Amino acid sequence: MHELLLFASVPVHQRHELLQQLAGLTAMQPRHCLERRLIFKAYRKPGLVTVRTGASQDLQSAELQRLNKMLNGGMYYTQVVGSVSEMDFGGAGAAPPGPDDTAMTDTNDDANAPPADQYDYAHQPWRLEFRDIPEAGTRSAVTARVMSSAALPRGDIVPPMNAWGYSFVTEYVVEGDVFIHNDIVIFLHRVLHYPTTDQEYREPRRQLPVFKDMAPLEKSGSYVLQASITVQDGSNQETMKTASQHLFGLREQLKSAVRLEQADRLSLDTRAK
Amino acid sequence: MPITGVYFVPSHPNASTALGTITERLRSAFVDEDLTPIGRWALEHKLMRDTPGCLPASANPGQQTSKPRYMQFLSLSHYPHHGFIYTSEPLEKPFHPPNAASPVPPSSAASPGAHPINSPGVVNATPQSTGSNAATPVSPTTDAMRMTSVPPSAYNTLFQHFTYACQPFWCHRLTVAVPNGAVYDMGDFRVRVGDVRQTFPAARVRGTVVEIEWRGPSVIESLPLSDAIPDADSGIDVSFVAIEESDIDAELAATASLIREFWTRLQVDGGRESILVPSLGKEIKDRLASCKRRSAVPAETALENATVQEADPDPYAGADLARQYMEALRFNR
Repeated sequence: MHELLLFASVPVHQRHELLQQLAGLTAMQPRHCLERRLIFKAYRKPGLVTVRTGASQDLQSAELQRLNKMLNGGMYYTQVVGSVSEMDFGGAGAAPPGPDDTAMTDTNDDANAPPADQYDYAHQPWRLEFRDIPEAGTRSAVTARVMSSAALPRGDIVPPMNAWGYSFVTEYVVEGDVFIHNDIVIFLHRVLHYPTTDQEYREPRRQLPVFKDMAPLEKSGSYVLQASITVQDGSNQETMKTASQHLFGLREQLKSAVRLEQADRLSLDTRAK
Repeated sequence: MPITGVYFVPSHPNASTALGTITERLRSAFVDEDLTPIGRWALEHKLMRDTPGCLPASANPGQQTSKPRYMQFLSLSHYPHHGFIYTSEPLEKPFHPPNAASPVPPSSAASPGAHPINSPGVVNATPQSTGSNAATPVSPTTDAMRMTSVPPSAYNTLFQHFTYACQPFWCHRLTVAVPNGAVYDMGDFRVRVGDVRQTFPAARVRGTVVEIEWRGPSVIESLPLSDAIPDADSGIDVSFVAIEESDIDAELAATASLIREFWTRLQVDGGRESILVPSLGKEIKDRLASCKRRSAVPAETALENATVQEADPDPYAGADLARQYMEALRFNR
């Protein structure tokens, strides 16, 4: 699958107004969302990849050449994303919610696990979100990249990811609002960092800190507006062109409010060195 | 989760398979049963292997060959809501707290750094410095495999992801399929037979697979699904509290002997058995443990949980059968 994108920076004071403009444009109320994003990095055992190449009289077989090419292929960072709610935050040491607080969390609690109003890591749903580095040399003024998204088992995702060749690097939280405009997903969001503690996290947190302790990555608290279209068959030039046209249409419609533009390709590089 | 056994009868590429023989023996061994298929079934299995392990030994002289690692993808038509992924456990876990079995000294693993994982070479260099321990796996059970069950849509996407983004460490080696198998009911057993055809890299016949499912009484079947709500009024038998893990092992072993007896009656030679595979019954035991935990909590909490039911009531259904197929179909390549 391919993903076509345009981005814009939104200062924090403009957010409220823009949310209203987007609600008007899309004829829907924003859907607030909070996501844990775990970053995993592909790893391989070092020392096994130095295949003898060149300076050799014997011709390599086609199979060997193919394997050699694969061994030197790209490795990537990938994200594992899990939806959470604000009520999941404030696990350890948080004040218990008031008696009139009857809203449910969106996670699934086991009865033996913490009460329903606490975060339950063992039932956290996850999905794998892979993004390739944006394609180079496209004349189009949109960012286009290969992507894939797949549901993963609930709970502790680290052991399967380790077995598959990925190791946990770090995690952060994305807070934002989603709008749907025809085939375009509009996501006004910002990255939140966990409060720094003495403890160094080598695996995903089992408890989430109090939400107000989460600090925006961008100190001024500004947001990113991301407009994206997913294209099933990226090799079909016609669909890709249509999708770009739709994004340009949105860019025109929002011209008075924000400037949607292509992102710097290298800033979205997901390759692991 | 029914108890099953899988047999695989390999055949030569150009010879006919054992399918005809097995069908005939089923007919003659169970004369009082009606041998008409009650349905069709299908299977697809993709085998991936670690890319460095695919190289011939002559390609990298002087380097010790490591243990092969596999990732297997299986889909079964009788478990349409699940795709199974079976992966060798990692040889080293570079980002885990050091444990007693780890050859990595605690000092290096716990060394502070902004992003220790960005340089796996640093972490992995330590065991090399201790000599021949470099290839020693952390886990004592090197053949351990991890079963993961995902929705069917994710199953295909994940396979494509690994072939696209993980080429340096995963290489697609084989695809085999049972395109059109037959299902028979024979007394307390349900039998699925079918020819296994390799479709990638080259089309050829691999052999015949026979799945024997026990459909008689079973303690395991009486366990409620993981998210079922124990309700005092519903009359559900809550006797699972009395079941122990050893009972499950005993039942698996007892049923395995019933399945073996069934297979022996067919008198088919050259069949490879895959019944009591490693980690068989893991999900059942997990479910038992969670049943026991849940039986200790008040019904009020359980009712609250009912409102947040997940879409899949049994996310690990068929995991044991999938394990047996994975073991039977992991051809050496």
